[in-house]
Formats: sequence, C-alpha cells, structure tokens
Amino acid sequence: MYSSPMKRRCALLAASAATAFVLSVPASADGDRTRGKERAQMCEGCHGIADYRTAYPEVYPVPKIGGQQSAYIVKALRDYKKGTRKHATMQGIAATLSDQDMADLASYYAGDARK
Amino acid sequence: MNTKSTRLRVVREFALAAALCVPLLCSTPALAKDDAGKKKAEQACAGCHGPDGNKPVTPETPRLAGQQYGYLVQALNDYRKGARDDPVMSAMAKPLTEKEVGELAEYFSKQPGLTTKP
Repeated sequence: MYSSPMKRRCALLAASAATAFVLSVPASADGDRTRGKERAQMCEGCHGIADYRTAYPEVYPVPKIGGQQSAYIVKALRDYKKGTRKHATMQGIAATLSDQDMADLASYYAGDARK
Repeated sequence: MNTKSTRLRVVREFALAAALCVPLLCSTPALAKDDAGKKKAEQACAGCHGPDGNKPVTPETPRLAGQQYGYLVQALNDYRKGARDDPVMSAMAKPLTEKEVGELAEYFSKQPGLTTKP
C-alpha cells in the first residue's frame, strides 16, 4: 500500500496523532472532584444559599447546581466565557476559569464520584 | 325543647361539614395548577429533560427537578424574549404563555432532584 517505509511511518504518525487527539477531547472533560471542591468556594457565596437572589448587578434568582449534569455545567461556564450566555457576574467568573477548572467544578457539583 | 336541640345538632353538623370542606375547596385550584404543569411538562419537556425533569437524555441537557421556581421562570422568559439563546429551547419557549411558564416552573420546582449543596 505504501511505496516507502518513510511514507508508512508518516501515515502511522498521522494515525497516532489523530487517535491521541480524539482521545484527548473526552479526557479533558474529566474533572477532579477534590480540586473542584476547593475551587467551589467562589461559587458558594451565591449558589450555596437556598433560594438566594442576587441584587447586583440585577435581581436574579440563583439556580441550584447540586446534582446538576456535569456536561451542562461545563457548557454553561463555556457559554459565559464566550459571552454567548449573558450574566455580568457569571461572565466575570467564567473568564477566570480554565477548561480544567470548569471540569473540576462540574465534577464536584454533579457529585460524579458518588455515581 | 327536644326540637330545639335537634335543630342545634343539625346546625352544628352543617357547620362541621362546611368546615371540613374548606381545605378541600382551597386545595382544588392548587391541584389543578400542578396538573396543568405536569401535563404540559410531559408533552413538551420530558422528551429531552426526562420524566419529572430528572433524567435528561443528553449530558448537556440540564436536570430541572427541584430547580428554583424563580430561576425556571427567568430562564424560560429569557428564551422567550431572546435574552438567552438555544436552538431547541428558544423554539420551545416562544409559544408559551406567562401562565404556562408559571405552571411549568411550579411543577418542576416541586419535584425532588437538584440541591443547593452537592
């Protein structure tokens, strides 16, 4: 199939790179629950209080996120970071989070380790 | 004397019966409201969010069971007004009336599910 060992090696390399890329995408969504718990201190002020409503910058009923689906939490945080979902406080917080931070937080709130 | 005591007893029994009916009368509209929310939820929401909003069909679909009433109202109204955008949810929320938004939010907020702390 391949005319030279060099071409074969290139094809093999491309295939491994593609496999590694495919595998790395779901792997990046694996969150660390313990790290998430530490990071969650910044969320507790609003999300840790039952039926809390923010008064600033707007009156907004804060959602419960305990037991929420982890992929949904990551999506919400990414949307805030991109600016496609709008809420001043959440956009400000999401802007400081890396993909790993988001995955860790999502894992903590979803309670992934208990499933 | 005898007639008077009979009449008194009848009056007392009527009063008791009427008193017993009060909670029944009060609870009926509330029940009807929950039923409307449940019915609508089964028709419109369960396909993606699962029965009672507790078993979403994709990982990126949120659980709704137990969510704060006010947040659900806000989210649906944001989708209706276009302040929040999602191809599916924007289309689902647009035809809802104010009343239906309230009924759905009431229904989902009363289901056991999400919590404040993980």
